[in-house]
Amino acid sequence: MELGLAWLAAGIGVGISVLGAGTGIGRLGAAALEAASRQPETAAETRTLMLIAAALIEGIALIACIVCILLAVKTA
Amino acid sequence: MSAAHTRSDGNVFTHLLGELGDHHGFYVGPYKVAELPIILWDNGQLHIYPSSAAMEAGRLYRMEQGHPVRVTDGQKPTLDLSITNLVVYQWIGIALLGLFLWRSLRRYRQNPLEPPRGLQNAIEAIVVFLRDEVVRPNIGSTGLANGLLPYFLTLFFFILILNLLGLIPGGHTATGSLAVTGALALTAFVVINGGAIATIGFKKWLQHLLGGGPLWLSPILVPIEIIGMFAKAFALCVRLFANMTAGHIALLSLVGLIFFFETVLIAPISVAFSVFVYCLETLVAFLQAYIFTILTAVFLGLASEETH
Repeated sequence: MELGLAWLAAGIGVGISVLGAGTGIGRLGAAALEAASRQPETAAETRTLMLIAAALIEGIALIACIVCILLAVKTA
Repeated sequence: MSAAHTRSDGNVFTHLLGELGDHHGFYVGPYKVAELPIILWDNGQLHIYPSSAAMEAGRLYRMEQGHPVRVTDGQKPTLDLSITNLVVYQWIGIALLGLFLWRSLRRYRQNPLEPPRGLQNAIEAIVVFLRDEVVRPNIGSTGLANGLLPYFLTLFFFILILNLLGLIPGGHTATGSLAVTGALALTAFVVINGGAIATIGFKKWLQHLLGGGPLWLSPILVPIEIIGMFAKAFALCVRLFANMTAGHIALLSLVGLIFFFETVLIAPISVAFSVFVYCLETLVAFLQAYIFTILTAVFLGLASEETH
């Protein structure tokens, strides 16, 4: 019973964290595309800034996923 | 995949994680190619065995689920310093890097005025890109940027070659282990804080801990900044590990579908998706090496800023 709840929590948790990360990276990508098409001459700089921000968002999502993995591999 | 690897109580996920982890002995794919020495530090004594069979014969330790434990009480030894599979893959990576870079260096020495060719050209392009686009713009002080350029180049090439070694069929990904990425993040932590102290001085570095706020906010801000200092390195470590592991788990799960459904009909779908994920992983291998390098540079730049 408790193990089943842990797996359920892992599934729900990974879903919610992916939702957050997806929204974040989606908004980031949209904003970066807009910036790059408005000012194509600064596209390279925009791409670098976008990658850094994407990596930071991803970092948080990955830490959430680690928590979910710990729940999913819970034994006893 | 193989009986030699650790197999725990039927949970597919833990099984896959076990396959991706470190092993005693040198593996190519699931096949054990060579025995590697086992070095254990236990209760103030150093035990060195040439192979796991020799260790079992010594009657002090035995293998349990791929890890040495004491025969007497079944506990793990204090420190397991064995030469493991991933250590060997790191040595292979270092040897390949040494070979490539040494060959390029020799060409520059022999014909300094000729345009670069082949591999030399690729290495030169990456080095110039890292210097002009990653290290110099993100680190404010030019002296610090030039002084630490070799570190950042080493970081990028080392992570890249380890990521790519894992993508060669049969290869194991050393960067898919928390121990390896943790050690890389530790060097980044030392470089970020050491570089900041060397540039702006210990006093200004301490002032950064205030986060630019007034003194009465320090009970809140100082703990946050100290946690942030460690969180940066921790995030670097987890990001690289999770990215390299996630791709492999996706690949193994897709191939695993064939065995799960026990039909050949699913194979075309599995193979098509596997090829897609493999291409994605190649991109991720380059991207993560780049991200690790640029984030270290950005954090160093932030930490060594003069004013807030």
